[in-house]
Amino acid sequence: MNTDNDDTTIKPTPNVINTPARSAMKPTVDPITRSVVQHRLTSIVTEMGEAMLRTSYSQILNSSRDFSIAICDTSARLVAQADHIPIHVGALPWATRAVEERFNDIAPGDVVLLNDPYHGGSHLQDMTILVPIFDQGRRLFWTIVRAHLSDVGGATYGGYNPHASEIWQEGIRVPPIKIHEAGKRRDDIIDMLALNVRNPRDFHGDFAAMIGAAHLGERRLARLFEELGSAVVEEAIEMILDSAERRTRQIVSNWKDGIFRGEAFLDDDGRGRENIRIVAKVTKKGSDIAIDLSESDPQTSSFVNSSHANMQAAVVMAFAYLIDADIPKNAGALRPLKVTARKGTVVWSDPGLPVSFCTSHPSNEIIEAIVKAMSRCCPDRAMGGWGRRFRIAIQGENPRTGRQFIWHMFQARPGGGASSAGDGWSSIGEWHSVGGIKFGSVEVAEARFPLLFRHHEFLANSGGDGQFRGGLGVALDLEVRTEKPAIANTAGEGVRHGSCGLLGGSDGAPHRYSLVSPGRPPRELKTKDVGIEVLPGDWFEVRSAGGGGWGPPEQRSEQARREDRRLGFVN
Amino acid sequence: MLTIGIDVGGTFTDLVAIDDTGRTIFAKSPSTPQDQSVGVMVGLEELARRLGLSREAMLGKTERIVHGTTVATNALLERKGAKVALLTTEGHRDVIEMREGLKGDRYNLRSSPPAPLVPRDLRFGVRERIGPQGEVIVPLDENALDEAVKAIRASGATSVALCFLHSYSNPAHEIAAAERLARELPEVDVSRSSDVLPQIKEFERVSTTIVNAYVGPAVRHYLTGLEQRLGAAGFTGSLFIILSHGGMAPVEEAWRLAAATVLSGPAGGISGSRRCAELLGVPDLVPFDMGGTSTDISLIADGRASLSADGGLADQRIALRSLDIASIAAGGGSIASIDASGAFRVGPESAGSVPGPACYGNGGSSPTVTDANLILGYLDATSFMGGRRPLDQRAAEAAIDRLADKLGLTREKAAAGVFRLVNLAMADGIRLMTLKRGVDPRHFALLSFGGAAGIHAAEVARELEMSRIIVPTEASVLSAWGMLTSDLRYEMSRTHYQSDDKSPEAQVRNMYAALEKQATDRLRAWFAGPIEIERSAEMRYGEQVFEVDVPLTDVDLNGSDLIEQIEGRFHRAHEDLYTYSLRDEEVVLVNGRAAAVGIVARAEDRIEPVTSAPAAAHKRRKAFFNNAWTEVDVYAAEKLNPGNVIHGPAIIEAETTTVIVNVGDRATVNARRWLDIKVATVQHAEKELALSA
Repeated sequence: MNTDNDDTTIKPTPNVINTPARSAMKPTVDPITRSVVQHRLTSIVTEMGEAMLRTSYSQILNSSRDFSIAICDTSARLVAQADHIPIHVGALPWATRAVEERFNDIAPGDVVLLNDPYHGGSHLQDMTILVPIFDQGRRLFWTIVRAHLSDVGGATYGGYNPHASEIWQEGIRVPPIKIHEAGKRRDDIIDMLALNVRNPRDFHGDFAAMIGAAHLGERRLARLFEELGSAVVEEAIEMILDSAERRTRQIVSNWKDGIFRGEAFLDDDGRGRENIRIVAKVTKKGSDIAIDLSESDPQTSSFVNSSHANMQAAVVMAFAYLIDADIPKNAGALRPLKVTARKGTVVWSDPGLPVSFCTSHPSNEIIEAIVKAMSRCCPDRAMGGWGRRFRIAIQGENPRTGRQFIWHMFQARPGGGASSAGDGWSSIGEWHSVGGIKFGSVEVAEARFPLLFRHHEFLANSGGDGQFRGGLGVALDLEVRTEKPAIANTAGEGVRHGSCGLLGGSDGAPHRYSLVSPGRPPRELKTKDVGIEVLPGDWFEVRSAGGGGWGPPEQRSEQARREDRRLGFVN
Repeated sequence: MLTIGIDVGGTFTDLVAIDDTGRTIFAKSPSTPQDQSVGVMVGLEELARRLGLSREAMLGKTERIVHGTTVATNALLERKGAKVALLTTEGHRDVIEMREGLKGDRYNLRSSPPAPLVPRDLRFGVRERIGPQGEVIVPLDENALDEAVKAIRASGATSVALCFLHSYSNPAHEIAAAERLARELPEVDVSRSSDVLPQIKEFERVSTTIVNAYVGPAVRHYLTGLEQRLGAAGFTGSLFIILSHGGMAPVEEAWRLAAATVLSGPAGGISGSRRCAELLGVPDLVPFDMGGTSTDISLIADGRASLSADGGLADQRIALRSLDIASIAAGGGSIASIDASGAFRVGPESAGSVPGPACYGNGGSSPTVTDANLILGYLDATSFMGGRRPLDQRAAEAAIDRLADKLGLTREKAAAGVFRLVNLAMADGIRLMTLKRGVDPRHFALLSFGGAAGIHAAEVARELEMSRIIVPTEASVLSAWGMLTSDLRYEMSRTHYQSDDKSPEAQVRNMYAALEKQATDRLRAWFAGPIEIERSAEMRYGEQVFEVDVPLTDVDLNGSDLIEQIEGRFHRAHEDLYTYSLRDEEVVLVNGRAAAVGIVARAEDRIEPVTSAPAAAHKRRKAFFNNAWTEVDVYAAEKLNPGNVIHGPAIIEAETTTVIVNVGDRATVNARRWLDIKVATVQHAEKELALSA
């Protein structure tokens, strides 16, 4: 067993996500100015996100919105974030810390880039841009844009490579580097990056959008300093962080004290190792929460490992889901939280191991293990399990254009978990994105790719039963209308383990995917597979997972059951 | 001849008549939510009285009535629309409930999904399928259609939304189904997606079509009823409805596309604001309409209001172009409170009109913005609403004192805090409308209208460093007035397809020529006056999916450098909005748009001579300015004359609104009797304060 003194655990300091409050600074900023600063920071990150959505090039950003925005200070504390993809947000302070440790010569006009999971990143697909914010020669903040790029090189398109046994097979690695120096863009470096990805045009467009959004944040912060003075802004931020901490502690202190355990399982690592266990031990005392993941199983040799920053982010996410939604997600709100984990486990792998699946898995299982543990500590706040990710990518030739196409499936999203507030959301997504990723239009997909969505409706009986029922998954019959055989890859989880039911509720139905090819027996799809041959006219039968139920099924009202039958959610 | 504008609001129905000489008459009557046309007819009676005519005589000489209605808005907000059935492609019944997998309020995992306007047992699939190029993959199954029609009849639905996949590229199946429905269920309204929104993206199309089906019957019922009442009362002119995008439509077109009327009400305010911009020669305005429970903020830039199709109402996506209006849930009735962490906030809870602010004396005890304004001396207990509604000073004090105790502040400091915070919320709303689009509010004048705006405008302007505030005399009925003063707009747009057989310049020219002809022909059917053309293009870089709408009215269409001109404008617009441009990147012109604008013969602008006689204050009272009680002059608006100048701090009281002139600010009464306030910068104001101390 390990303790904080074990040299393989994270030391409590310097732990950027829960840095203690700065020395007893006398609050001289009035509560109204504090509100001004808080409103302004929120509108700045919101506006940055809007710009990113509207200007980016690739489908995963401008339609599916797989990007996030934050402002951190130079101590790497999260000051403000926009509500985009939860799994990004808790990781951004670690990216900031990696940059602060790497450079001691940050100058106005610099722009820093990174993606390496062993240098502050989460997985290679997420590129992060940081712009330093100065006021009168003092460096104070970073505006940060993290975006999931559609390709980052490596052995497979899109960065998910179930066959990778080391990180070099997953894509190009970028430690913190300056891509603008004092206002001058390093075109040579950008050329090198563009050469290492499969779609340089999207890359350039997305990259310009990221830097543009970060600069927009810089423009707005400069105005804020002009209006109030940066010293006032800094002081107001201390108050904002303290206030978030107070609110969080007030909530946590009402929960039951004790030590609680929860566990969740990955199906497999794609190489025959099955039922990989994630364990969360939660110690709740007063207004403090310590979450220890160090009993989790050893790391694997495939992409289901987690990087350190991503593991931290997953814990932060679980915690954020349990407190009140309107508490600002900043460093103050996270002060009551202490995280312990052990290097060499599946939640924190050794350098060099592949981690490209980590923002989905094991993130989902980390969150699920924590929420399960907490269901005995704060049952009214814990929710049934949300779905796991099961992605298909198809590569082939589009007969309409004669050009190669690659398509990533975002449709047929799994159901969300039920909670004390009621039934879960159907077709809404996974624990790590919780409705932050849009699947986009079926019509647009059919217009751009040789696909026919024959059927795309809620899947009856997929939601876990309970006093409140889990959200439904989706039944999708997807025909591939190429003229030549196409190839498919999968990257997924959750065909063995469904989303967990909670407090007596049942688990949701797990995923079931198969490929139907006339004249051949149906082929059940494995979650981590490459090189699946798809013949013209074949179709995928996707039956995505439902969410977990909440509370004992016998307490479900008769009226709710009648309604489920009337609407065809249960039959 | 007369023209009449009618704006039906939540509390009051405002009416404005303008005659040939430019004489403008206002009337207000209580709104009648059960049947808005009742309040309208009563209001017309009152308007006629003020004109010294009988209602029949007045309507007999009225050539045009322009009307903003909230019938669709209310049906949607209150969920009181029709019982709608959806007829759609088999296997795709749940598009409306999946919402593309997107959920707002990201961190709230303990919430229930919004109930769809059409529950699943009223959504019927029919076997048919059309592909993206319009090709028929599966023919429409007539037997399945029979079954669906039977099921709809049995369900008791009174309105049907019809939406098949890819119907934007081939509406044949939808048209066939619509004909069948019309034959077999003639009493049922039908909204067809290829008619309502013929565009790719099924979620937006089906959602918009459902909203149309949901509000359609109520809008049709109301408008045909109103038309009959007006006709019976002697009206023989044309009735036009203002649409969410600010254009106008005759009655039949308005109910056919009822989803386009959900912002009909505030759209009039924007028309009025545009007219103000024109009259003043100030092209850049932020219209700021602050009422009791909500505040509408919009933007007039370069004389134009901005439009977008990204909106919706009451959780329902409506992908029709609509004026960009930010509604903030804060106004005079907003309640101040302290949350669990000790943070002090104002709103979003509101005391509404019942019980209303504590000072209304109707049993309200929560401290509101209006109570704070009374404590601070900005409002006067005896002269509120022209003295017709005295306020309860002690109730306001008791409410604010409870707040002050919790904050550990004095009464006036607490009230000043409420005042400041609500001003910040307003300023934030304006920032979202301006900064979000890369527009700097400092270059804009604040146009203050609606009952509560005048008190807050000075501070809101200061917060945003805006240096000018305009308060028109029409402030309390600006929406109704705006409907009369705006031109008749008819818009057409189309997707631009670039082919190889003609030069790009020629294709752009042809596209605009075709659009302009279509728009002009449609407008000509109901308008005989002069017509002007406006055009714009929605453009983007290479693989972007969101466009920037770039005005092109004054480009030289015949220039050989046409494409270069258009691209240059797009690059500049992108830089302004997003800090950068990509000069080497492909620029895509996605949609061309042209509007035929029927120029309405406007009544002559009534400008009075400006004299420099000093304004006479009619009384003085104590009010709280810059953290201190100050004895200030109070002026009666109706006694001010063009040319009068008032130095702040001062208060100007009109029958339905109060205007604060802040320390260091200077209000001038212009030739139209509007207040034109020059706002001092913060530094300047502090200097004035130091001098006066």
